Amino acid sequence: MVGSKRIPWYLLSPTIIILLIVGLLPFIYVFIVSFYNWNPLGKSDEMTYIAGDNFRKLVFDDDFLLCVWRSIKYAFTTLFFEFVLGFLLALSLRKSFPFRPFFRIIHTLPLVVAPIVVGAIFKLFTVSGFGPLPHFLKEWFGYKFNYGRDAEQAFWLIVGVDIWHWTPFVTLTLLAGLSALPKDPYESAKIDGANPIQIFFHITLPMMVPVLLVVVFIRLMDSLKAVDEIWMLTSGGPGVETRLAGIHIWRSVFESRFYGYGSAMSIFLLYITIVICWFLYVIMTSKQNQFHDK
Amino acid sequence: MINNLIKLLKFIIWSLLSIITIIPIYWMILVSTRSPVELFGKPDFSPTFFEKIYWKNFIKPFVDGVYSEYLWNSIIVASCNAILVTALAIMATYALSRWKLAASENIFFWTMTNRMAPPAAFLLPLFLLFSLVFRYDDINLFDTKIGLILLYCVFNLPFAIWLLKGIFDGIPKDLDEAVLMDGGGYFTIITRIIIPQAAPGIAIAALLSWIFAWNEYLLAATLTSVYARTIPTGLAEFVTTTGTNWGSMAAVGFVSMLPALVFISLVQKHIVAGLTFGAVKG
Amino acid sequence: MKKLFLSVFASVTALSAMAGGHDAWWKTAGQPYKGVTLQGVTENTPPGQFVSEVLAKDFEELTGIKVRLETTSWDQMYDKAIKDMEANTGIYDFVYIEQDIIYSYLDRDFLVNISDGLAANPKIKAPNVDFADFTTFINYFKNGEGDVFGVPMEAFIKVYLYRKDLFENAEAKAAFRAQYGYGLEPAKTFGQYRDNAEFFTKFCAEQDMECWGTTVQGHTGHPASTYEVLETIFPSFGVYNWGINMDNYQASVENGGQLNGGRAKAALRFWTGLLDFAPPEALQSTWSEVGASFAAGRAAQGWVYGENAAWIATDAERSRVVGKVGVSLPPTAEGVMMQAASGNGYIGYFDGGAFGIPHSSKNKEATMLWLQYLGQNEVQADWAIAGGRITHKATYSDPKVVEVDAKSDAYFTLMRDTGYLFAGAPPYPFHGAGRAAIDPFIFKALAGELTPEEALDQAAAAVDELMKELGYAK
Repeated sequence: MVGSKRIPWYLLSPTIIILLIVGLLPFIYVFIVSFYNWNPLGKSDEMTYIAGDNFRKLVFDDDFLLCVWRSIKYAFTTLFFEFVLGFLLALSLRKSFPFRPFFRIIHTLPLVVAPIVVGAIFKLFTVSGFGPLPHFLKEWFGYKFNYGRDAEQAFWLIVGVDIWHWTPFVTLTLLAGLSALPKDPYESAKIDGANPIQIFFHITLPMMVPVLLVVVFIRLMDSLKAVDEIWMLTSGGPGVETRLAGIHIWRSVFESRFYGYGSAMSIFLLYITIVICWFLYVIMTSKQNQFHDK
Repeated sequence: MINNLIKLLKFIIWSLLSIITIIPIYWMILVSTRSPVELFGKPDFSPTFFEKIYWKNFIKPFVDGVYSEYLWNSIIVASCNAILVTALAIMATYALSRWKLAASENIFFWTMTNRMAPPAAFLLPLFLLFSLVFRYDDINLFDTKIGLILLYCVFNLPFAIWLLKGIFDGIPKDLDEAVLMDGGGYFTIITRIIIPQAAPGIAIAALLSWIFAWNEYLLAATLTSVYARTIPTGLAEFVTTTGTNWGSMAAVGFVSMLPALVFISLVQKHIVAGLTFGAVKG
Repeated sequence: MKKLFLSVFASVTALSAMAGGHDAWWKTAGQPYKGVTLQGVTENTPPGQFVSEVLAKDFEELTGIKVRLETTSWDQMYDKAIKDMEANTGIYDFVYIEQDIIYSYLDRDFLVNISDGLAANPKIKAPNVDFADFTTFINYFKNGEGDVFGVPMEAFIKVYLYRKDLFENAEAKAAFRAQYGYGLEPAKTFGQYRDNAEFFTKFCAEQDMECWGTTVQGHTGHPASTYEVLETIFPSFGVYNWGINMDNYQASVENGGQLNGGRAKAALRFWTGLLDFAPPEALQSTWSEVGASFAAGRAAQGWVYGENAAWIATDAERSRVVGKVGVSLPPTAEGVMMQAASGNGYIGYFDGGAFGIPHSSKNKEATMLWLQYLGQNEVQADWAIAGGRITHKATYSDPKVVEVDAKSDAYFTLMRDTGYLFAGAPPYPFHGAGRAAIDPFIFKALAGELTPEEALDQAAAAVDELMKELGYAK
């Protein structure tokens, strides 16, 4: 594009400055600390340099790896449901139908309830003995709901809460994407006589890839490190069944004060997230390229 | 005919969905109007708030306590952050979209990693950064609203940029050329062409940034103390070792939804404007 | 909250009337620090609220020194205090020190030696405050030489609570004797406890009442359950200091500890067995839910923290069992009571906390003045009523306190007379990490994934490993 090469950097600079100072510095700190053995509760509360030992230990740490696996299961399960549901809902919102604005606002409500309150309300809702859900499940279906004991129930509970809370995010973002799609390809397709299904898979979907990527990545990132709502609901129980990686790291850093090892685990989780995202990026953009080739 | 059938179907499905969405919120409102003792025993779903409201749940935090301050802090932090992020993101995305910059792909990707990292290990360095590094005499960033506003940029900017990039890329460059040839500057391009065409996307980016800043708990809890406390942090205070004060928590939770609702309604207008197909393309 | 309002009113008038004589001293002492703001952090509980809502305001009026108290959640409070002290950022002038963390703080030299500070600064040594006026709880916050590092602001004992109305119910008494062959009474032994629990679960079901035989603080994911085991159940079975041998810091029997020994296993088996007689929410209950369950009338007996005992027995807005609550010593295994009485053991948990001053505080003298203000005998009575806590010997006999005592089945009297049988947490600087290592196994035992025996074997191994890693064991 014609124009001075300095202008883009002016436009970018405030962003870069803020991100560098408030984002990069802490990251460097964590990175450095991950090479040290540092636990203030130990006999010696000094930081001792141990090079890659924390990472070596990580690889054999069954407890942590299990937590990471649980996080991945959780993230993909919630992503799947939220994605499918959100996309269908976004598609349905494009054309008008009775009460559409009203429904849209109600749909957005869960997003503005603070995660702590979501956790608290659902806890109150589902706790055995006081909560309506177990009560009605027992009365109407004879189903004993006690997630303090049943790991499956606990898992689906936290998945359910996440879906309730975050699907609107997916819907809204996809709606933004859908609204910005150019009209031409659709007109040509109609002229060519394509049916709605073909239009969806060959035109809408490929053009939506950039927005889809944003949604998938953001949800993935957020759920892989999720802590707040799960802590309120199950605190990681029963046993360690819902102890996701975020909770495990949180407890290692805050309760056991393993600063060095906790930093290493954080870096590791970050790395896993990056790998998964990159994987998805490759898959999804190859689909986009397929469209371009046509 | 088919169209009407589809509309009916949509209506039914959305009604069901809305009921499921509302039930927990309705429950929260019920809890906020009841005294602690009433919460025990058989769960009561009837709208008892038409007969009796336990006002103490509302009065104690907001009138006697500091929650009105917290609410105000939240509004300021979220709004300022949303404005800042939107402005910076529009500028940055425009730059990334229109110029082939040397490190753009890398910068792009790296900014996202900030959001990927689990917060626990980052609290200590951020704490140190805010209280030791950013210090001038006795003033530092700990317990300030500005501190939070800047911090949340780290999470919201990358998201906004990513969201907007796809949209900006879809706006044809010829429009920019036209303005430049007519003697206009980049400012004109951004305000006359880009913003109107990308309005729904920008609105949603602003909305979601606002919501993130509004709801954020862990960092706010660590980096604020008395002056810059936000609502989510304040809400956590209801969970104590002598019992969780469900009633007040629900009350504060409910009231906090209101400014958010106002904000959403304001933004909805812009989302609606762009939803008519064919907004883009001249 | 009417109570709080009354106590505010009462304390303002009482304070101005009584402390009139000392007012002058405080004004003069505070003169050099006028306009200073002290920043503190504590837990959001009734005692903490009383400090920020009443005492801080009174102090400011008297001396012109402002106190800003941050009240927050249990974990946040720890985390922020520790961060501030580790990094010497000088944010807080005084921090809450829970009894179990004092050893860690002393070990890491976080706190100012208050005794020395006062000795070096006679101008701020208050005439009406003497550390000898405190109960023995203050000893936890002293170092080897008897210097004070923390001024106690709350203390409670974890007691055995029972439903007087259920235990005195004629039908229940008859049915119990018929079934078990001895008289129904609040449990003194574990056999009795179990019989009571089993009996009342059945009794309540038959009478169509929503109640069970016992509470269990058994959240399958939250440290509260581990605490109930380590602080309450184990000691009353005769397993002290978490079963860790304090000479070599090892927990497993093979290495000299007791954590997976016979007594500990019996204790855990007993406790997890109680789940059969506990309300369904027991598996999701931390200390708050246990209090709530009992207050909702859902349990006939249970171990409840002292700070909850007070409101459960007296506050009609939060409790359904006002006037029906009995307080007593927890049941113990044979010989444990004697061991405790002779000073070689303990029967339960002495809970509480103090305020201390970090080295990084920039207003040490003003803060020492403030902490002494909190340590006055004059402010204790209203504070005791508002928060259910007592830290001074004289408070027990204050007429206001005696009145509340009568309504809560003599909880305060119990604390005064038997407090010496209870103990705080063991002196472990590694407290947090140690408990976190034991957590997963207690959770799994509760959820039924491991037997109590397996759980303790694995827990002991984990603790041994941790001790080596942290450098306490070779």
